[in-house]
Amino acid sequence: MTPLSMRGDTLRFHLLALALLVLLAGPHTASAADTPRIATVDWTIAETLLALGVTPVGVAQTDAYREWVGAPPLPDDVVDIGLRAQPNRELLAQLAPDRILLSPMFSTLSPSLERIAPTDTVALYTPGSDLWTRLKSATREIGAIANRKAEADTLLAWLDVHLALLRQTLASREIGDRPLLVVQFVDDRHVRVFGENSLYNAVMQRLGLENAWQDNTNYWGFSTVGLETLAKLDDARLVVIEPLPVGVEERLESSALWQHLPSVRRDDVLTLPPVWSFGGAPSAARFADHLSQTLIDAAATPPTHETPDE
Amino acid sequence: MSDWISRSLPFPHFVLTPARLCTLLALVCLALSGLSLATQLPVAQWAQALFAPDEGNIDQLLTHYSWLPRWTIALLAGGALGIAGVLMQQVLRNPLAAPTTLGVATGAQLALLLATLFAPGLLVLGREWVALVGGGLAMGLVFALAWRRGLAPMVVVLAGLVVNLYLGAVSTTLILFHQEELRGLMVWGAGSLSQNSWDGVLYLLPRLAIALVLAGLMLRPLAILELDDVNARSLGVSLKHLRLMSLGLAVFITACVVSVIGIIGFIGLAAPAIVRLLGARTLPQRLLWAPILGALLLTTTDQLLQRFSGALPTMIPTGATTAALGAPLLLWLIPRLKLGGDRPHAAPMLTAPRRRHPGRLLMALGLALTVALAASLLLGQNSEGWAWPSWAIWQATHEWRLPRTLAAAGAGTLLALAGTLIQRVTGNPMASPEVVGISGGTAIGLIGVVMLVPGVGLPMLLIAGTLSALATLGVLLLINRRSGFQPERVLLTGIAITALFDPLRSIVLANGDPRTQQLLAWMSGSTYYVDTVLAVAVAASAVILTLAMQCLSRWLDLLPMGNSSARALGVNVDRARLALLGVVALLTAAATLVVGPLSFVGLLAPHMARLLGAARARAHLLAAALLGALLMVLADWLGRQWLFPQEIPAGLMSSLLGGAYFMWTLRRL
Repeated sequence: MTPLSMRGDTLRFHLLALALLVLLAGPHTASAADTPRIATVDWTIAETLLALGVTPVGVAQTDAYREWVGAPPLPDDVVDIGLRAQPNRELLAQLAPDRILLSPMFSTLSPSLERIAPTDTVALYTPGSDLWTRLKSATREIGAIANRKAEADTLLAWLDVHLALLRQTLASREIGDRPLLVVQFVDDRHVRVFGENSLYNAVMQRLGLENAWQDNTNYWGFSTVGLETLAKLDDARLVVIEPLPVGVEERLESSALWQHLPSVRRDDVLTLPPVWSFGGAPSAARFADHLSQTLIDAAATPPTHETPDE
Repeated sequence: MSDWISRSLPFPHFVLTPARLCTLLALVCLALSGLSLATQLPVAQWAQALFAPDEGNIDQLLTHYSWLPRWTIALLAGGALGIAGVLMQQVLRNPLAAPTTLGVATGAQLALLLATLFAPGLLVLGREWVALVGGGLAMGLVFALAWRRGLAPMVVVLAGLVVNLYLGAVSTTLILFHQEELRGLMVWGAGSLSQNSWDGVLYLLPRLAIALVLAGLMLRPLAILELDDVNARSLGVSLKHLRLMSLGLAVFITACVVSVIGIIGFIGLAAPAIVRLLGARTLPQRLLWAPILGALLLTTTDQLLQRFSGALPTMIPTGATTAALGAPLLLWLIPRLKLGGDRPHAAPMLTAPRRRHPGRLLMALGLALTVALAASLLLGQNSEGWAWPSWAIWQATHEWRLPRTLAAAGAGTLLALAGTLIQRVTGNPMASPEVVGISGGTAIGLIGVVMLVPGVGLPMLLIAGTLSALATLGVLLLINRRSGFQPERVLLTGIAITALFDPLRSIVLANGDPRTQQLLAWMSGSTYYVDTVLAVAVAASAVILTLAMQCLSRWLDLLPMGNSSARALGVNVDRARLALLGVVALLTAAATLVVGPLSFVGLLAPHMARLLGAARARAHLLAAALLGALLMVLADWLGRQWLFPQEIPAGLMSSLLGGAYFMWTLRRL
């Protein structure tokens, strides 16, 4: 067991070093003078800007960003410009940003925000084309607007290399033989299950992991289903994304159906720390790190008890 | 009463009775359930799956822990809501009383929202207890408001509706600001029956058994309630206590159901109403057949839903679906319902002092409106706190504040006028534009467009909204034409149309689509999306319509006297009603497009005007218009400043402010 866990630690160190490299590379290559002051209502754009080394002047619902997106951390001096669907225009006008960035979801705002500053819509979660292609073009678009073209290219190149590396590591250990079922609990009876067109699915594809959810999903790549739907996917290994809503953990203890789900009976359920489900490149990297690390750790310590019929 | 139903069916000699309808439905339900279970599990394994499922067989486990509990709980919950509905309708002598109209469901939901956000520890103790306390408190509030009037049926329903709106507004505010944390409650709120153990059934069963026994014990005294108050009292029945006990029992039943599976719309309203229509006239008959019909309705709906919704990526909760399926049924029933609508209203109207010279009142209101407008335009906050008028502020005023303030004032006026018209036409203080269903209809169209066409612009939304408002009006007129637009029927139709809007909203919310935030904002009545052109148009039409409305004041003075009196005084009653309803529809549609379907102002402003002494139609209209504008402007300004930089939509704020005032006056009524 020792060599395995040592290898896990090396991997972790490796990832950390790479991440630091990219984060540090940002501020050094572009001066503050040619960085536009950007305000955005969209958390995905905000996290991408931060990853490119640009601190937005205003972001919508900063408290909720810190809670639901978390990383990269939002500096304290970023102004909260109100709700995502209704950024406070009087406050925005006072902040006088150079650019305002929106996602298509809020594009109805753009005529009125245009009167404050040039407003661009960066599309990421729109149906029709491959999510990963759109993630790359969106990141480059944000990079171009923020005057961080080179950094955007570096970030994407690093992401590709990073995911390929993780894929190799996972493949070399023959991890990922079971298809994964990525879920987030809505309450103790319902989950969001992520499939086609979701960030999680795109990352899993790059890691060479199979997604067990091949059914329909909505624009954002998830489907809200009852727990019983999961029972039919015999082979699938559950990946639960935190946070769990209050009380759900306790109620699952007494939920007969949950206890009898194939994955729970095999005792191979994985739990991952929170990652913004509708995120961009930084969230993709974080999800990839969490997922592969958890898979590797779980392989190092096999389930404590095997069910008799397995 | 059942004759006309039989006549309108293809087989004229077949008389539909409650027993026959239930048998028919039971057969359909059993067939569907059998089919569904058979595709899930071979028939040979059914008995084993029921009593001792094979731990290794996932199909048997699913049947035992998911399919069977879900089926059972659908029966239980449907039956329970049927009983609760019968009790409430009996006590309130009102065919529209239902578990969901008395604030219980919204009270329970609000309690759970609050617990989730501020005291999560309580949820670990048990969600059902939190829901029970919330539902009980909401009902207690309704009782408290109606207490001084001896819990008179009319006042209880009015109080229930107001409490419902008020708590609903608080819930929506919380959801608006905590969308991610509260998504689980959205699913619950929409009434999903999905189960994963027998816990829910085991919780519900003993409680319902107790409730049923209690209802049986109260059968005889309850039957006396069918007499009017004076006769019942002369038989020595304490009306207050009887009403309190039976309503309390109904609330307990509802809270149990709500806490386990969430808000199930319509069953509690429909089951008792249908069995009554089919000839179950005595209370024991209704108490027998309503629960059976309720159980069958809910279970059949759930089976159909499981059968046909499996392929969709959207989860469609059953509670929302019963409401959606129930609404057309209700629309079909309304022209056939026998309601005593033609006599003058014996029900207590709002009585208030009448001013001989309302001029002074109107002056005072006008002055207050001017002050509010000035404050809304000039006072505001920026990143450093409160800012006094300056050049920068003037720019902000011109650019951002003027359209919103104008739109708020205009929409408030339009809604107040619509409310005044409808309250006078129907002679019903419960009536408001919302109840007529135009708001709901407009909202359905707008939600549809937003969900189907991504990134849609305002002109398209305007067109879609107008079209759906007109379509709603068409349905309203079509259904009510035969009955000569009797007030109660029009109200009923409106409620049925609004009932179509609710499930749609629940489904949208339950699926946690990130676009919901914008929809939520609009549905809660925000002036945020209004531009200058729209604002000026709304404000101008509000002024013009207020003046034009003066021509209608003769009708409005005469119609509340009852059909025969009005006719004797030379009014063509049907044509007058039709014209007034058309005006109401247009007023409501215009206002809804600007500030969303939440039109508490339409209920409130005419009321306040009446309480302030504006009794004649002319003064009533003017005072209500001024009050509507005043209320909406204040709400809009407060909503923008209170949680700066976040904004509480004007519709919500007016509900929060107006609702509190309204409850206070109701208590003193």
